This record gives sequence, structure tokens and C-alpha cells, in this order.
Amino acid sequence: MTAVLQLTDVVRVHGEAPHEVQALRGVSFAAYAGELVAVMGPSGSGKSTLLTIAGGLDQPTSGAVTVEGVDLARLGQPERARMRRTSIGYVFQGFNLIPALTAAENVALPRELDGVAPRQARAEARQALEEVGIPHLADRFPDDMSGGQQQRVAIARAVVAERRLILADEPTGALDTETGEEILRLLRARCDAGAAGVLVTHEARHAAWADRVVFLRDGVVVDETGADRAETLTEPAAR
Amino acid sequence: MSGGTTSSRLGGWRVALRLARREAWRRKAQTALMLLLICLPVMAVSAATVVWRTSDVSSAESVTRRMGAAAAVLTPQQTRDVAQKFDPDDGTAWGAENEPPATEAEIRTVLGDRPLLPVRRDSADYRTTHGIAGTNLLVADLRQPLAAGLFRLDDGRFPRSVDEVVVNQAVADRGPGLGDTLVLERRAPDGTKVPIELRVVGVGDYADSRTRAWAAVLPGALGEPTADDGPPQLLVGGGPVTWSDVRALNALGVIVASRQVLTDPPPESALAPDMRGGDEGDDTALTVLGLVVAMVLLEVVLLAGPAFAVRARAQAHTLALVAASGGTPAQARRTVLASGVVVGLVGGVLGVGLGIAGSTLAVPIAQRLDAAWFGPFEVPWALVALVAGFGFLSALLAAVVPAFAASRQDVVAVLAGRRGEGRPSRRSPVVGLVLIGLGVAGSVAGSRPGGGSSALLVGGSAIVSVVGMIFLVPVVVAAVARLAARLPLPLRFAARDAARHRMRTVPAIAAVGATVAGVIALGIAVTSQAASDEQGYSPMLPIGNGAVSLPTDATPGQVDEVEEILRKGLPDAPRERVTGVVMDGADHSLDIGLAHGDQRVMTSYWGILGTSFLVADELPGYLGTRPDDRAAADRVLADGGIVVLRNRSEKALPADRLTVEVGEVPFEGGEIAHLRHADLPAAAARVPERSSPVAAVLSPEAAALLRLPTATTAIAVRPTIEKGALKNVNEQLAASTANVELQVERGYQPEAATRIIKIVLAVLGGILMLGGTLTATFLALSDARPDFATMAAVGARPRTRRGVAASYALVVGLVGALLGAPIGFIPGVAISRPLTYDDVTSSTLLAIPWPLLGAVVVGLPLLTALIVGLAARSRLPLVARLD
Repeated sequence: MTAVLQLTDVVRVHGEAPHEVQALRGVSFAAYAGELVAVMGPSGSGKSTLLTIAGGLDQPTSGAVTVEGVDLARLGQPERARMRRTSIGYVFQGFNLIPALTAAENVALPRELDGVAPRQARAEARQALEEVGIPHLADRFPDDMSGGQQQRVAIARAVVAERRLILADEPTGALDTETGEEILRLLRARCDAGAAGVLVTHEARHAAWADRVVFLRDGVVVDETGADRAETLTEPAAR
Repeated sequence: MSGGTTSSRLGGWRVALRLARREAWRRKAQTALMLLLICLPVMAVSAATVVWRTSDVSSAESVTRRMGAAAAVLTPQQTRDVAQKFDPDDGTAWGAENEPPATEAEIRTVLGDRPLLPVRRDSADYRTTHGIAGTNLLVADLRQPLAAGLFRLDDGRFPRSVDEVVVNQAVADRGPGLGDTLVLERRAPDGTKVPIELRVVGVGDYADSRTRAWAAVLPGALGEPTADDGPPQLLVGGGPVTWSDVRALNALGVIVASRQVLTDPPPESALAPDMRGGDEGDDTALTVLGLVVAMVLLEVVLLAGPAFAVRARAQAHTLALVAASGGTPAQARRTVLASGVVVGLVGGVLGVGLGIAGSTLAVPIAQRLDAAWFGPFEVPWALVALVAGFGFLSALLAAVVPAFAASRQDVVAVLAGRRGEGRPSRRSPVVGLVLIGLGVAGSVAGSRPGGGSSALLVGGSAIVSVVGMIFLVPVVVAAVARLAARLPLPLRFAARDAARHRMRTVPAIAAVGATVAGVIALGIAVTSQAASDEQGYSPMLPIGNGAVSLPTDATPGQVDEVEEILRKGLPDAPRERVTGVVMDGADHSLDIGLAHGDQRVMTSYWGILGTSFLVADELPGYLGTRPDDRAAADRVLADGGIVVLRNRSEKALPADRLTVEVGEVPFEGGEIAHLRHADLPAAAARVPERSSPVAAVLSPEAAALLRLPTATTAIAVRPTIEKGALKNVNEQLAASTANVELQVERGYQPEAATRIIKIVLAVLGGILMLGGTLTATFLALSDARPDFATMAAVGARPRTRRGVAASYALVVGLVGALLGAPIGFIPGVAISRPLTYDDVTSSTLLAIPWPLLGAVVVGLPLLTALIVGLAARSRLPLVARLD
């Protein structure tokens, strides 16, 4: 079975010597179809850098990143943008919806940017919104929605048109506990339906939703564990 | 108000100003944009003010060019009673005329034993390299100290004898230079030309005019002055000539320009009662100026508005925090207004400084374009300070709306990070429609032809309509955003974003709208007037034809000479001698009337062919008559009859026989003496224009029957007459003994000014539209940075940003243009009515400049969008986490 996302010896250095900062120092890990991988670690451990590199928003200093077998390093900026429209879905902590667009239009954005006819893009968006449970909010603007509703829209946008890799950066950070759990349930369901998910979080209880947890510290993977051992990483009180 | 509140208020301002100053420094690029928008108009206006005041020569500044080094210049009149203002150029009045002018002895009874220097201004023809041209002459002894400054020498010296002359550069350029011989041609009383040869001993500048031809000679160089020349002007030496001296000289019939009175005028009460006051029309000029200033202020405020709105928005979070910790709305307002104060102060002062610096460059350029010499470089400080104040005011006004919005902002929404602005007011479109209604009503009232204040009323209504339009912009923008649902992503995003951020979009759209309204209004006015001029144009000859009218006393030799010049100069243009009735005798002129019974047949014509009645045995081709009238006309001429030319507005002939009556009008005045008449067969030949060249064509038999004197009265020249050749031919014709001119009918020539005005309008409109759109677009782009980051994250191509930028520019430009164009029609249509009113037909004319309209409403927004799209950075911000 091939990995949907494969990072091999990824190094990312910010700045130049002597002021250089090594955000990632040789990280390798993979995410397979149907699997949700949680990336954990303290602030500054390189979690977000890992995600931007996985999504092709940033380039590794060395090492390889492949998404569905395609080496992102070999792609130019336009092709990497195309990958984000067709293969990679992003979910951010701040929801990052465009306030000038309705829920449906936000979800349809990657499809429209990909050149799909607006009518079809809109239809796909409605379907995605239905999957996340808010079909009735399709014509609302983000400012008129609650945080949880906005994050559902963001997830719909990340999964629209069967994208195989979902990258979520602290998706519950701005939500209350209950709403956060619902969002994670949605992500989990999406992975169960066949997508590969990477969830960056610093809350151990969220890792319980994951099949595996990758633990980062100072830019290196210090531990990798299967879901069956997730409890060892989770404080008992959180469960 | 107690002292305590005053000081606390001042204290509040101090904090607000400090915040504004820091903010201005922190956001340097944005501040630079705000300064630019305030600075540019201030700079342009203050530079223009300096150039204007420098080019304007005041009474005091004109002293040297009028009287040299003298204390006064006296102009004796042929009367014994004049009244004058302090500067006689501002107004004089005469008593009974035809009296002998004051003698030198009489003048000395007032002025005593002062030196007096006679000066005369005259004119003459001189021989140029190509032919003949005219020059002005200054007849005075320029070596005298009193004359110093009238003529500045660049080279050579002043004349010492009557056969010497100094010329200015304008003469030297077209004729003889230093050391050469200048040949003047003076017409003697018997009409013959007398050449006067003079040696050019100096070249310089005449003090009053830069480009007109001037030469200066000693008195006597042109022969003795005749009685017709009148007395010379006198330059007066010695001490100051006081106002009481001036009044005493006025009583002798002498007009006086006195150095002392011009530079230090006495109080107004010293004037004769009927010379006081009088500068009428100033009120109107002031009102017009007021309207212009109001319009410019509005435009500047609208252009700068978006920048201030964005600055206020950037401070929104701070202000919300302040409000949350107990700040009052007034404090929030003050904080935003302080931005206007800071930018207005700096922008005003900077703009004036740059304007004055720029004017030092502009003055020499303007001087080169002006025929008259400018006065000394002059900065009108009071006016310039006003301009700076104008800049300050516009910045302050631009900050007012954002300031009030900031004081009323939804603190919770701001702190929660919501970026929109809520729904537009439901009241504002009603206010807008009411204002536009008032504007229409005012324009209708002002459009009545003949009303004295119509232009003011229309101008005022235009401003009211534009303000009304501003109130409509928010709802229109909201409506556009709703309609945008079906548009492609970049346009949809731009339209929605524009509606969400009305504070910056509305002024930008309004600025574009106001610009377009102004351009359209002026365009309609100018085009309508040009169309009206064209409709009212009466050609003298068929288009392309020319004619040389010959003097009544032209000898056969002169006619041959003229024809020879035409033959050589225009070898390809067919010529024809025109035989006509000689209308003028030695002491009388002929009066030829046409009648049918008691009914007179009226004719109107130019008489361009040296006569009103041609004599020919068939209809000449150069009259431009309709071909289908020719057969009948030729038949009547063969029958010894008369063919009457009928232009477009004249009725058909009442009968096919007319009575031709010949009378004499004595030059000395008196009754017409009827001589003879004849009953002749008549036909009409129609001219498809508003006018015909002559009244009628008589058959030779008819002319003989009526004993009318005939001669070659003109030479008609058929097309094609090339412009360059025409100039050469005319210089030769002017130098010929007949001294005649070939006039060519070119048809209606739109004034170059009309075309230039339209181009200037389009360019100015383009600049303002580009300015307004660019500011709003780039402010919007910087605001939309997080949205672009999101788009990048979901895979937007780099060109998406360009697309959004261009769409935003298109929305601002197109909505503004579509709103502004109808608003421009209101004053445009209104002002075209009095401008094109035809007294005769009491009709008016409306011409819409469609190309200009299309260019401004469709072309410019598309062009602007294209420019913005190309100028926008295509790189998307790659921000991974935006919290």
C-alpha cells in the first residue's frame, strides 16, 4: 500500500547562518489512505512547518515530500497550486473563510479555481456541506455563522471533490470542547471514508481520534506510535 | 465652558494628535499615499497661482513699460474735459469732442518747467524676406533718460539720426537684422506707397510685447506728423506728478498715467463721483470661483477618502479596545480626525512648498507661450496660504466620515474580528434622490435661455446632483454585490468585497462618478455649442473654392498681375475672371432691388466676388448652385433675363418675371435716387447652403438695358487650393500693386479649442479615474491579504490576485462611470440650451459626444482595469497560519 503523504528526511532551515533556525531536522513519516495521523509537540517543535511543507505551501531545504506518489519538490509553483486544488485540503485554526463569499462559494472555491463550471462547483459544494451536516447554511456569509459552523464549512472546503489528503492545523483551537469534538468526529469520518488525514494539535485528548501519533520536539520525530498505544501519550484525565 | 473642560479637551486632542503622528510614521506607505492625494492638488493650484500672479502685470508693475523712467505719461485728447480713474486704463470719460488738444504751454501751466519728451505709437508695413508684413512703431528719442525702459537693447545702439531704426526680435526674425536695411512702406495721403529706407542699428525688446513686431525710430523719420495723427504723448520728468496735478491736467483734456498715483493711489473718495466703484461682474466671478473650488474640494475629499477610511479601519481594533475600557465616542472620533489634521497640515505646507518650487520652472515655460512680458516673479502669500488651508480642509473632511463611523462602530464585532461594515442605511438613497431631484429642478430653471444667472444655477445644481449621487452609491454597490452571485469568482469577490467595505469603496466610486459627471457635462456643452456653430455657419463660396476680390479701381494691368501670381502659385487650380456690376461710383453706390408688383423680393448673400450682381451669359459653375436648376437658368440668361440665387432659407420666386430697379445712394447721405427699372424674365437657382455668394446673375443684355457699369470684379479660383501654396500666394498678392487677398472657403472649421478641450477632458477624466480607482484598489488588495492567503492555501493560481485586482478596478470604475454619466447629463443638457439658443428660430440644439461618452463610461474603466491588472503583484501571500 502506498502512502498518500510521504515525508522522507525533510529538513527545513529558516534564515541563514549564523542566525539560521532549524525548524525540521530530518523528519520522515507517512500517512496512508483511511488513516488519521496526529502530529503533536510543544510550541516551536515544527508542527506547522511540517504541515505547510506537506501542503506544498513551503519547500523543504532538503528531503522529499510526495503526495499520491508525486514529488512536490519537482513541481513548480503552479503545479503545487493545482495539487492543493485537487489533492490536498487544508483546515486552519482560524477557519480562514473568505468573508465576501457565501458558505457554498467558499467550499466551491478550490473547484472554481480549478476551472470547473460554477454550476457544477456549486453542486459539489452543496454535497460537501451536506456531508458536514450544514446544507441549510449554504447561502450564508461567514460573518453570520458561529465558529463551529464556520469550521464545518472549512472542512467541507478541504474535502470537496474527493481530495485524498486533509491537513488540519489546530482545527479546534478556536472552538469550545463540544464543538471541537464534533469537528474531529467529522475528520475521523472523512478518513474512514478513505482519505489520509494529518492533524496538528497540542492537545493530547485530540490524539485519541488518531490512528497514529507522531511526536515532534525541536524539529525531530521523537516518538511514533500506533493508535493502540495512544493512551500512553494521553493523560488519563483527558479521556 | 469652564477652564477645566477646555484644557481637558485640548488634552484629548494632544493625545489624539500624538497617536495620529505615530500612526502616520508607522504606516509610512499609507501615509505617503494620503499625503500625495492632498499634496498634488495643493501643489498644482499654488503653482498655477504663482504663475498667474507673475504673468499678471499690475498697474504699479506696468509703470516702466508704459512711461520708461518718467514721472508720468500725458495723453492730450481732442476735448477740454476728461475724467479718469487713478489708472486711466481702468476707465476714462470725455466731455465735448472736436476741440483743439491742450498745447505744451497750457500743460506747463500745471507742471511748470519740467522736461517733456514726445512719444508716438504708430504702425507701418515693412518688407520681409517673403513679402510684406505689419509692424508697430515707437516714435521717440530713446536716448533720452526719460525713455529708459521703453525699449531694452540687446545689441547695437539707439538711433541717432532719422535714417536709423532699432527693431525687436519679432521683426528681426522675419526681415533684416543688425546692420541691414529695413524698408518701411507708408501709405501717402493720395494712396500710393512710399518706401522709407532705414538702417537697423540695434536689436532689442519692446517692453510691453514679446512676440508682436515693434520698431523704434526718431521723430521725423516717417516725415512730419499730419493733423490726423493728433498730438503726441508726453513723458514728464522731474518730481512726482500728484493726483491734484492729474485733476488739473484732466481739466485741460489731458489723460495722465502718473507713477506716483499708480504705485500709491489716493483713497477712492478722491475720484470724481462718476468714476467711483464700477467693477461689476465681480460677484458672478466670485460665485463661479466658489463653485469651482467646491467641486475641486469635493473631488479631492472623495479621492483621499478611501485612504482615511482604511487608516481608520486599521485603528478600529485599538479604538474598540479603548471603548471597551471606557473611552467615549468623542475620543474615538478625535483619534481618527487627528489623522486628517496631521496629514492636512503636512500635506498643505508640503504642497505649497513644492508648488512654489515648481512654479519657478513653470514661469519661464508660460512666458514662452505668452505674447506679453510677465511682471516680476511674485508669490501671492495670502492666496497661497488659502490654498494650503484648502488642502488642510480637504484632509480634515476626508477624515470626517470615517471618524464618525469609528465613533459608532460595533465594539463587539470589531473585537470578534469580523471585518464587514453592516447594511447600508435605508435613508441615504432617499436623501440622494431628493438631492438629485433638486439638481434637476435647478438645472431646468437655469436652462431657460437668456437667464443671466443660468450658468450659476446650473453649476450649483450640478454640485447638488453630484452630492445626491454620493448618497446613492452605497445602495448601488450593495445591489451590484447581490447581482454578482452569477459572476466569475474574481468579479464576484471584488463586488462583494466592495460592498462589505463601503467606507473605502463609496468615496472612490463617488470620485470616479463626479469626474465622469463633470467630463460628460462639459463634453455635452462643448459639443452642443460646436454643433450649433456648425449649423449656423454660412459658407461664402462652395467649399474648396476661392476668390480674389479686386478693388473697384483695379487697372487691367493689376488684374493681369493678380492672375499671373495665381497662375504661377496655383498651377493646378482653374481660374475664371468674374464679370460683375461695379457697385461703387465716385460719390455714390448703386442700389439694385428686385420686386414683383408691390412685393419686394428679398435676397441675402455675401458679395464675396467684388460685387452683388454678376453679369454672365450662362450660370457660372463656381456659385455652387444645384445642377437641376441650370437648364432653366441658362434659358433665362439667354433670353436676356435674371437668375436670382436662393439659399436654403429663402422662399421660391413669386413669378417668372421680376422688376429690377436701379437706384443711387449718395455717400454723403440722403434719399435713394431711382434711376431706371426693367421687367425681366427671371428664374431661381438654388444654393443648398445657408447663404449664397451673390444676389443674382444678370444677362449681359439686362446689364446693358439697365445701363449698369460692369468690370472684372474678382477672380474665382476652383479647387484644389493647397494650404501651403495659399500662404505663399497671399504674401505675393499682398505685395502686388493691387494689394489683394485670395480667400478660400474651407467650410466649418471646428475651433481647435473644442477639440483640445475634449482631449483635455478625456485625459483629465482618465487621470482622475485612474487615481481614484488605483487608490481604492490597492487599499482593497492590502485589506484582502488574509483572503489571498486563504486562496493560496486552497490552490489559487498566482494570476487570481491580478484578476481580483482588475475586477475591483472594474467595479469601482464602471459603477462610478455608470452613476456619473446620467448625473453629468443633468447640467450638460441644461447648459447646452442657453449656449445653443438661436434668436431667430428660438430653437436650441443638443449634441451628445458619443465617442467621448463611450470612452469615459466603457473605455476608461476597462483600460483602468487592464492597467491595474498588469500593475498588481501576482504573487500570493503564503501564510500558513493566520491567527
